[in-house]
Amino acid sequence: MRPPITPAPPRPSQYGLAPELVTKRMAELPGMTSVLVRELFPDLPEVIYPVPGASREEEAAVIDAATRASLEDVDMSMITSDKSVNICASHHGFTLLGGYAYAQMLRTIRDVIVERTGTQNVRLRAGVGMRLRETEEYIKAHKLDEYFGKGKARGVAPIDEGIPIETEIGTLYGIKAIYDADFIVHAHNSDVREVHFHRQVDRAVKPFGMSYARADTRSTYHQNLGPRGANFTARAIFNSDFVKSKFAFASFLDMSPAGVVGVMSDNDLYRMNEALTLKGLQYYGKIITLFGELSDCIVGLDFPCPVPYVFASGVIYANFVGANVDAFDLRTLPPYTWYTEAFYDASNQPLSKAVVEVNPHIRMVIHNYAWGGYPSSFFSRHTPTIVVKREQADMMSRCPMNVYYMENALIADSLDTAMQFAYKTTGTDKVVIFDGAASGINVSESMAVELVEKAKLVSEKVDRELMPLWLKQRGLEKYI
Amino acid sequence: MRKVTQLAVVDPAICTGCRICTRVCPVLAITVVDRKAVVNNPACTGCGGCEQRCSFRAITMIERDDPYEIRFTWDESQTEAVNALCRKANFNPEQIVCYCTETRANEVAAAVLAGNDTPEKVSAATGIRTGCKIECVQPILRILDAAGIKPERPEGGYQWYGLTATVYDIPDSIREKYAGSGFDFDGDREIFDEVRDAGL
Repeated sequence: MRPPITPAPPRPSQYGLAPELVTKRMAELPGMTSVLVRELFPDLPEVIYPVPGASREEEAAVIDAATRASLEDVDMSMITSDKSVNICASHHGFTLLGGYAYAQMLRTIRDVIVERTGTQNVRLRAGVGMRLRETEEYIKAHKLDEYFGKGKARGVAPIDEGIPIETEIGTLYGIKAIYDADFIVHAHNSDVREVHFHRQVDRAVKPFGMSYARADTRSTYHQNLGPRGANFTARAIFNSDFVKSKFAFASFLDMSPAGVVGVMSDNDLYRMNEALTLKGLQYYGKIITLFGELSDCIVGLDFPCPVPYVFASGVIYANFVGANVDAFDLRTLPPYTWYTEAFYDASNQPLSKAVVEVNPHIRMVIHNYAWGGYPSSFFSRHTPTIVVKREQADMMSRCPMNVYYMENALIADSLDTAMQFAYKTTGTDKVVIFDGAASGINVSESMAVELVEKAKLVSEKVDRELMPLWLKQRGLEKYI
Repeated sequence: MRKVTQLAVVDPAICTGCRICTRVCPVLAITVVDRKAVVNNPACTGCGGCEQRCSFRAITMIERDDPYEIRFTWDESQTEAVNALCRKANFNPEQIVCYCTETRANEVAAAVLAGNDTPEKVSAATGIRTGCKIECVQPILRILDAAGIKPERPEGGYQWYGLTATVYDIPDSIREKYAGSGFDFDGDREIFDEVRDAGL
């Protein structure tokens, strides 16, 4: 058995427990091991990042070179030396592998624009999810404020001043600061992440309806259009004359569960979107399907992100919560998505036959280290949850988005006592840890055996049955 | 329903009176007096929006000495009207419309029927939109619209901008244009219909 992979370190943030209070990680527990995702699925492509044994500077050089290469054929002639450019970013990229690759891609995009166009007026506008200062923290941590220059790098939030955007479904609203330049560059990442929301339909377009959008628009996405139509909000905005008049090009970190595969850039976002839709299904379809095949287990949350966004093998915990249903199959409603959460009545009974229970094989959740700043009461209501340390429980209760989280969770004084209780109560020794382990997953030895045993069958099932279905549903039959 | 345990506190030595806090507060609990922000403590829901957007970090959130709960209740005789308003806005009365506070559509509808005619008054009466402040403005606007109310935006405020389309507003031309691309508007409308009518 391999030793556990070093988990992502705790990060100082106003949204999470102070790092000094995270005294023990789940990967340090007895009987833990690790599995590399490329051992499970050898058909995953080689990654360019992380680079084993390389220094941070050497790894940055790899991303710099890949970004520059991707930009070689991108037309920037519309940007003249007197024009301003906003590089639009999102918090998600900074949560991938410590954010170093994403931050480097942003730096290189800036440098290439300056070199090729002569403009000095290149700004960074970094959107957020619900932790409204989160990208301010990342900008400072990666010194992007210094790199872009005084006042040119700023976080923007969905409750900031808005701007109306006329679309083919009526007026929607963007964040004014996103669009306050002559041109915008869309700088994002391709990991599947919230498949329960976007359903791998227009994945590359999503930030136009989310990170770059006003609350009014995000509410449209999550309340008005429905679980398969939601991401049309993003398409409607991107297709608007207003956004088209400002869009210059897009650059994406091309992600797989093992790491960064490359960097893609294009003036045609829909051409990139089609490629990334296909890659997303190929790269992430198998690991998420494998999660749906796992037997009863204890789950550990141990990563500097809110509950649904903690990572294992390149996918987020929310993917595991809903893995008992194929989220890529557009005929289904994922067990966890905000529409599903809405569709429970006051006695916690589903209001639609399409709503099914969350993954029943998650027998207990150990919340060892995960942030507030995202409505997460659904998770503690639907899965038995133990929060390690009273300080962390208090942090959740103080969060205005989680006032009811602790009503359905227990508190343990330490990780060890939490695990003793979990082992005894659930009767299983199988553990899956969402701790951001790069290129792999930390699990108990018994779960490692199960992962390896089931991966081959899952791989065949995806190739033979599921992938043709997924592609057909998205109008991509030509790739079958 | 919303438990309120936090309170925004302004440091007047740092505050510049820029008014950002007044523009984002979902219950209009902050005013600027003599170029300093002043919090109406009983009205503050502790959502932290002001603290998160203050450019000068002049606002901190503290534990309240007097935690309280916001809950709008209604007489049983009003339930029929409450439920009818929810369904007119294409919500099931019992579905959640605010993921942070777990406010349900019927509580919002009851508050609207009681005369709360702006999103800010509805938020103050029910607690909705006092968590993330992002995802639930459309349900409020839809229920107000179903009640025939066209609310005025707070002057100069960023609290909300306007009612937007729902799946019921997607025209045939759009449905046909994007058929086969994965946007299943018809399927989603069926689910919305089923949810709305559950319990009838």
